[in-house]
Amino acid sequence: MREPSVWPITRLTRRLATWLRRDAAESAMDEEMRYHLECEIAAHVERGMSRADAERAALRDFGGVERHKEDARDTRGFTMLDDASRDVAYAARVLRRSPGFAAAVVLTFALGIGCTTTIFSLVHGILLRPLPYRSPGELVALWERNVSRNAARNVVSAASFEAWRDRSTAFDGMAAMVPAPRTIAGVPVERISAAQVSPSFFRVLGVRPALGRGFAPDDEANGGAHVAILSDGMWRARFGAHASVVGRPIVLDGESYTIIGVMPTGFEPPRFGWMSEQSLWIPFGVTPDNKSWGRFLHVIARRAPGVSVESAMADLKRVGAQLASESESNRGWSTNVVALGEQMTGEVRRPLIVVFAAVSLLLLMSVVNVATLVTSFARRRSHEIAVRRALGASASRLIRHQLAQSLLLGFLGALCGIGVALLGGPVLVALLPGDVPRVEAIRIDSTVLAFGVAIATATTVLFGVVAAMRSVSSPAGARVAARLGGFRLIVVEIAIGLVLSVLAALMVRSLVSLRSVDLGFETTSIVAGRVSLPGERYPDAERQRAFFGALLGAVRSMPGVTSASIATTRPFACCAPATVVVDAQRLDENAAGTTDVRFVDESYFATLRVPIIGGSVFAASELRDGPPRAVVTRSLARALWGAENPIGKRVSMKLFGTTVAEVIGVVGDLHLADARTAVRPAVFLSTARFASSERDIIVRGSADAAATLTAIRDALASLDASLPLYRATSLETAVDATIARDRFTAFLLSAFAVLALVLAAVGVYGVFSSDVSRRRREIGIRLALGAGRASVLALVLRRALAPTIAGVAIGAVAALGLARLMSAMLFGVTTSDPISFLAVGMTLILTAGVSTLVPAIRAARVTPVEVMKSDG
Amino acid sequence: MRDVDLLQGTLDLLILKALAAGPLHGWAIAKRIQSMSKDALTVNQGSLYPALYRMTERGLIVGEPGTSNEGRRITVYRPTAAGRRQLQQKIETWEAFATAMQHVIRYA
Repeated sequence: MREPSVWPITRLTRRLATWLRRDAAESAMDEEMRYHLECEIAAHVERGMSRADAERAALRDFGGVERHKEDARDTRGFTMLDDASRDVAYAARVLRRSPGFAAAVVLTFALGIGCTTTIFSLVHGILLRPLPYRSPGELVALWERNVSRNAARNVVSAASFEAWRDRSTAFDGMAAMVPAPRTIAGVPVERISAAQVSPSFFRVLGVRPALGRGFAPDDEANGGAHVAILSDGMWRARFGAHASVVGRPIVLDGESYTIIGVMPTGFEPPRFGWMSEQSLWIPFGVTPDNKSWGRFLHVIARRAPGVSVESAMADLKRVGAQLASESESNRGWSTNVVALGEQMTGEVRRPLIVVFAAVSLLLLMSVVNVATLVTSFARRRSHEIAVRRALGASASRLIRHQLAQSLLLGFLGALCGIGVALLGGPVLVALLPGDVPRVEAIRIDSTVLAFGVAIATATTVLFGVVAAMRSVSSPAGARVAARLGGFRLIVVEIAIGLVLSVLAALMVRSLVSLRSVDLGFETTSIVAGRVSLPGERYPDAERQRAFFGALLGAVRSMPGVTSASIATTRPFACCAPATVVVDAQRLDENAAGTTDVRFVDESYFATLRVPIIGGSVFAASELRDGPPRAVVTRSLARALWGAENPIGKRVSMKLFGTTVAEVIGVVGDLHLADARTAVRPAVFLSTARFASSERDIIVRGSADAAATLTAIRDALASLDASLPLYRATSLETAVDATIARDRFTAFLLSAFAVLALVLAAVGVYGVFSSDVSRRRREIGIRLALGAGRASVLALVLRRALAPTIAGVAIGAVAALGLARLMSAMLFGVTTSDPISFLAVGMTLILTAGVSTLVPAIRAARVTPVEVMKSDG
Repeated sequence: MRDVDLLQGTLDLLILKALAAGPLHGWAIAKRIQSMSKDALTVNQGSLYPALYRMTERGLIVGEPGTSNEGRRITVYRPTAAGRRQLQQKIETWEAFATAMQHVIRYA
């Protein structure tokens, strides 16, 4: 048999186990003692006593069997455990008699524990859990950086990537990634978000396919072999999770690829920058062609053992210097190395921390409320407790009773709280905005449960001990202590209520500011969708132009369509080009910052209602050949030419090599990516002049979004039934999606603020309610002596004034400090926004006032006679 | 035979010493202590069994089921490794205590 250990925990568990099996233990003890007795008797008999004498002698020597058994039971801790279980049973009986009190405590407690645990599951799942890759701390994302253009994390050119990979010594593997949307043939034809990645991609991450093989180094030859690796999701959705999928062909954009592997379930590909969902991977290889494309790659790498981030940056700087001396396009560019974890979750870190701080305050408040409830309940039972004391119950006994009650309440509250978290967690995750990273793996796992249990235990002990200590003090002392304690609690509750409300108010105002940003174009009644023409049926510019022309014609003839246009990307779409645009003569690179480039048709500006400031926009019959013409935004014109008339001037940009275009018009500035960042200059070129097989169609319709999209799909189907319309959305939805995170944070903080206000109101009401009932006699006397009811009202309200003001003041100071955490999240609002603070302060005072008013009115209605009568 | 009121720790020491020679059941332990002390010390049942249960709980001894000569089900106790270590420690403590007492009585 294994040697039992002497650790206290094992001892305790052993004790508990024995107690639970007490019947067996009791009978064993019984037998042992009986056997002992018999041995004694036998020994006596052996020495010559008669049987009867032996028995008498043995029993006499043995002493009281029951007493020995009792002693034995005591040593085994049975007495203690028996007492404890009796205390708990008694506590349960008491609570059953006051279900309202029990329910209030359990619910308040469950609220605090449940909310905190749920938010912790978010914090744990997104921020605390390490990335699911081998040694994730070594992984970094690499960016190009251009200080003069204020681009700290710029996508990387193929040439830079190749140079870094081949010449840098700081990394143990480097891989490039680029989004590769492809149309996959089959049933149904779908446009999927695939990704092109270097063959070393999975090796760098340290994850192996579950089926088949990963990419081999020569899979990157010729720009990328035609092999593909499926994600687990795609494997299940489209290929029925059959293991035989390895080796089968699939057709992507008309080209045949062979499936060579499937990634395991639960593999989270790195999502950052433009890399969002990745349902399939195909190899990427650097070619002379894509080296001329400009900057478009995302790069991840694994730091070599012992290499720090700083040394990695220094090494890349060295390579970068070499590159700059070799090629013009690299001058002025350096690099940026960011830890992959920070890259993937950095944006949500601050909001999550703020929300967690807020919910922790809510937990504190719920504990304060529970403490108030428990102490007032104990005071209500003070008569019963006094009787018990008179009957001989010791102070320690009473404390034990109180503790048992608190523990029982805490246990029930914790159970309900964990239940709330288990139910509410998935609901909250479902409501999360789509761009929150690492959402797939958020769940209530053992760590989160352990956290919930830990905070439940800590808070139960906290209010249990406080309540137990309060319950045994003398009645007079208790009165004084309770009143002071109650008022102190009000201050705390109001302070916390103020802090949470300020945080919520700031976030809401920030959200409102964001939504009221003038985007430079109208979003109402506009929908957009994307069409991609497969190469084999639309191989040249002529056929592509013809198709889109026909599509526009068909859509414009649909009823309810006001105007339609095509563009390479609609506003607020991902992955659109940007470059530096300069005056063709002056060639001053630093005149304007990074400029967005869009290819649009003649009705783009009309459809989006972008104001035309000068000159004209593209004509319907824009020339296919000949010098390109451009429309610039106001900020670009001002940056390049100041107040001079830009019409007729020529701009040069690094696009398709170098393109020079003549400016024909100036339009108002527009936000093309999100409302938060400052407006960037933009230049528009004509879709007629620069053909493409992929276009967004942007349509303004008088009907609702769904109807207009159906109209577009019908028009599309009438031309070519095999083409899907994808990324179809209303422009309003697309714009809203960029502020979804802010909206969600504002929603959470507001919910907490509302809960806090309710708890504060309940707490204030409770404290003053009991205060008023305790002072009935005094009030009765005052009224009898001629005080008016109004003055009694004023008396009660006045008592609430000091703690309320104190609470507001303390809360305001705390809020000023805490709000600073939010400064990066706010838009158009400072962390000390006076309007928010004032509004919230008044709300809190009002809430406290109303909560005090009810008991105050009750006090004023007291008739002196019944007070005198009741006291006798 | 004299009944001496034994301190708890000393009783543990006696029980462990009694079991050092081999596993015994409750009554036999009491008899062993009596014989080891040349009849100077008797352990009464009221102290013995609580002590045995306490030491079992603390992991110093272990009670295993066994059968008596008559075929009765009995519990036989034997020391654990921790128990054996404790025995050594307790012996050292006792000897130090006894020496100190000697000094106080004889020389102080």
